[in-house]
Amino acid sequence: MHIPDGFLSPAVCVGTGTIAAGTLAVAFRKLDATLASRTVPLTGMVASLIFAGQMVNFPIGLPVSGHLIGGTLAAILLGPWGGCVALALVLFVQMALFSDGGWLAYGANVFNMGVVGSLGGYALYQAVRSRIAGPRGVLLGGMLAGWGSVMAAAACFCLEFWLSHPAGEFDLRKIWMLMASFHSLIGVGEALITGMILSVVLVHRPELVAAQITSTNPARIGRFVWTGVVAALIVAAFAAPFASEYGDGLEAVAEEAGFASHATESTGPLLNDYALPLPGTDRESPLWGKVATAMAGLLGTTVVLLLGWGLCQTLPRPLTPREDVHAG
Amino acid sequence: MRADFLDRYARGNTVFHRLNPRTKLLLVLLIVIGVLLTPVGAWPVFGCLACGVYAALVIAEIPTKYILQRIGLLLPPVLGLALSAPISRGFQGGWELAATITCRSLLTFSAGLWLVNTTPFETLLGAMARLGLPNRFVELLAFMYRYTFVVFDELARMRTGQRSRTFSKPGLFALWISNASLLGMLLIRSLNRAERIHGAMCSRGWTGRMPEQS
Repeated sequence: MHIPDGFLSPAVCVGTGTIAAGTLAVAFRKLDATLASRTVPLTGMVASLIFAGQMVNFPIGLPVSGHLIGGTLAAILLGPWGGCVALALVLFVQMALFSDGGWLAYGANVFNMGVVGSLGGYALYQAVRSRIAGPRGVLLGGMLAGWGSVMAAAACFCLEFWLSHPAGEFDLRKIWMLMASFHSLIGVGEALITGMILSVVLVHRPELVAAQITSTNPARIGRFVWTGVVAALIVAAFAAPFASEYGDGLEAVAEEAGFASHATESTGPLLNDYALPLPGTDRESPLWGKVATAMAGLLGTTVVLLLGWGLCQTLPRPLTPREDVHAG
Repeated sequence: MRADFLDRYARGNTVFHRLNPRTKLLLVLLIVIGVLLTPVGAWPVFGCLACGVYAALVIAEIPTKYILQRIGLLLPPVLGLALSAPISRGFQGGWELAATITCRSLLTFSAGLWLVNTTPFETLLGAMARLGLPNRFVELLAFMYRYTFVVFDELARMRTGQRSRTFSKPGLFALWISNASLLGMLLIRSLNRAERIHGAMCSRGWTGRMPEQS
């Protein structure tokens, strides 16, 4: 997930870095406005907790193993702005201690995982939680947000990578397909790990996340805005492959600007068609790729929902009045 | 503090370890930008830079085995993405671009590895603060760095306990459950500890701001 240097062009690094720095500045002001004396130790602790949590490996039966990314968990514990700052801290330490993630790409990394991952993840969490009451809402919301934040970060990376190679060396749709297929797996892992940690906390110390349940219930307008953001994210991620106008629009611009011949000369068949060179694919129909991407999205969401439902069953159920009578 | 694996080689005593951290930081940023601006397929330039970076790593006495280990971890995702160039055009060309992207990432990664393994974290942080990193951010980073060792020690203790209670190698499913409950407990303990630390800090006059240090 950490973008090394060498992938993104300096212009993209500067652009994403500016957005990330602006968001962090806003986040610091928001945090100062809440509870300044408590914020610093708490944010620092959650950041180092997530850093340490990433050292615990979750094996999947293959040579590679998964680990927590933690953007959503930080946002659930600290609120969206605190989560964003905590992720920026984790990414900085990983860069300055391990050289994980590039120096110039730091802004892009903060943007993808901190800004989009944490703020977007929190939006998704809020949207679910305002509809499902109690600990189940927290659990399901956290898991869906974990999955969504991974996918959103992957989508942002694709866009940045594509923008970094303005001559059109890469096909946005194909990179997204590649990334979406891997990251829907990573996202399910993230959702499962987040959900399992949350269920442990909900059983033993529910007030740690319960404080969030009561204190930061957004007003109606706020809720409306958050839901809108979530809807936009989902549409952007999974409907984008179907909106084929964009790629064709680029070709049209290239032709109009008169460098189409040059482009086709240097990049070969890329601009002519974008069928996947896989056995059994019809080169005439790019639909296969679009369906595959959307399938990855749908499948991932379904799996996360099923896992979340399963985890919800392990939560201790609050006694309803009727059961109370039976028990008595 | 047993977590010395965090910066094992950064506390050596070679020419590069003694160099001014600001110089090192700017040098690495210069190399990164230079590598990014080097055009596709300029192999002599990449070759020269690679030799330079490797020489710097050797002079700084960073073991080659460690470098190769780190590069081995980085390589799969880099190769995967770089190869999407030839895949994008049906394996007819694009190889040069893929090789260039791989070269660029490996070069800049090695340069970063050299920087972080010749400069302890707090020195690097000080250098970045002098170069204009915001004060609030530096404060938080200092807190986080200090807490990291505390949390790692806590995690190590909990893992020792976990191992001493587990007699056989657990299955995949059981391992997920035990790891998740480990992390959940670590979370609860860390938040409790943060509360205690905050109370202790308040009783010593903490107001939310680091006191100015002359």
